[in-house]
Amino acid sequence: MAVIEVKNVNLTYRVLKNRTGSIKELFRDAIKGRVRIQNYVALHDVSFSVEQGEVVAILGKNGAGKSTLLKILAGVLPPTKGTSRVDGKIAPMIELGAGFHGEMTGAENVLFYSALMGRDVKTVKSRIPEIGEWAGVTDHMDFPLRTFSSGMVARLAFATATDERAEVLLVDEVLSVGDADFQVKSKERMHRLIKSGAAVVLVSHNMASVRELATRVIWLENGHVKMIGSPAEVVPAYEAN
Amino acid sequence: MKYAQLIRLLVNRELTLRYKRSVIGIGWTLLNPMLTSFVLWIVFSFVFAGRLPGTQQYAPYLMAGILLITFFSQGVTISAESIASNGPVLTKIYVPPQIFPISTALAGLVNFLIGLIPLSIVCFISGQPLAWTMPLVFIVGICLSFLTAGIGLTLSILYIRYDDMRNIVNVLLMILMYFTPILYPLSVLSPRLQKIIQLNPLTSYLDVFRWAFSNNASATLSDWIFMIITSLLSISIGTLVFKKFWPRTVAML
Repeated sequence: MAVIEVKNVNLTYRVLKNRTGSIKELFRDAIKGRVRIQNYVALHDVSFSVEQGEVVAILGKNGAGKSTLLKILAGVLPPTKGTSRVDGKIAPMIELGAGFHGEMTGAENVLFYSALMGRDVKTVKSRIPEIGEWAGVTDHMDFPLRTFSSGMVARLAFATATDERAEVLLVDEVLSVGDADFQVKSKERMHRLIKSGAAVVLVSHNMASVRELATRVIWLENGHVKMIGSPAEVVPAYEAN
Repeated sequence: MKYAQLIRLLVNRELTLRYKRSVIGIGWTLLNPMLTSFVLWIVFSFVFAGRLPGTQQYAPYLMAGILLITFFSQGVTISAESIASNGPVLTKIYVPPQIFPISTALAGLVNFLIGLIPLSIVCFISGQPLAWTMPLVFIVGICLSFLTAGIGLTLSILYIRYDDMRNIVNVLLMILMYFTPILYPLSVLSPRLQKIIQLNPLTSYLDVFRWAFSNNASATLSDWIFMIITSLLSISIGTLVFKKFWPRTVAML
């Protein structure tokens, strides 16, 4: 059975025209009978499934709906129409470090971020030293995050996010972070995670990574699926486009 | 419950973060209501001190009001903001969004309970004896958490949709504060005005609180009923409204 099953998913954002979203304007426009809401279709009738052991890469230009699709898979955004089903624990690697707070210490942030991702607090507590060490910020773990450099924050976020193996991995362009040394290390870890994951959905603009990692590629254009197939078929077609 | 650990962390963060950079830290939770009440007491004790029935003291009367209204206004404003301010998290990782307003309300409850310590001190200093019904204050706290969480849930949707809701809410809270007998004893008002003030649910909460803690007011059965019904109504309406409108609102974050 498929681990991820997406069936006829549509997503329509309701965008307010001349958007200010203030009540005063709402009144004014309601009285004048002006239509303010415009529908913006981000995804149109998208269907696919991901089997156990597959790595699916999603290609497409900016605004093609890649991130929206990942959000739907993460369960954050409910589809307007259609269904999306994901079996197993999801690890969303989307803009790492969501929920980090400058006034909390490195260790507190690791704990909070892990709890947000649904990990067990007790287990994480015992993992904190190791996470800090892997990120190379051991000496700073008890200081507020605002004293960290941005590279250190990124490293800590990456180390925390990738610390536990999850069944379903959603990756949005976070294949590597930090300086040259750390990039090698993080890339290696990410690749290992992807290869060991039960099912992976990956968004990337890096065609070399896509060729190397993906077993299947979905090409999105303006919210439509333009092509699904093996990397050998889809990547050249996409690059020629 | 699966999210109990996360809620604990959130409540903890809420309680410590506010005073993170200050020297005495969470000590401000104790000091803040005392200082506010002290300032107001200096001003208003001239006007209202002798106006309470029997031997009731004005200082604890005032401070109980301050504690309760702080719990309510802060709880409502912070929990209403909590969804919008945690937008970056909510658009990336799935957690039930309701836990943010609920954690805020719970943090408010903890602050309120901590505030009972300085209130006892003020009771002691002013010679207002504590009542044996004191444990009932906990029920008031729970009801107030439900009330604030419910209103916070509803407002959090409105806050995301309409930017100017924040300003409106601030004005409404200020009006509400004057329509709650915090500074003044109810008896100084005309009978007509008293009736209006009693329509405000917070008046019942406050009556029950003052009565249970130190016999500083009289609470009737209808106060209890009014309190419990409004709190349950608030949390149920808030949950329903949130559930209905969240799917379309999250796309606006």
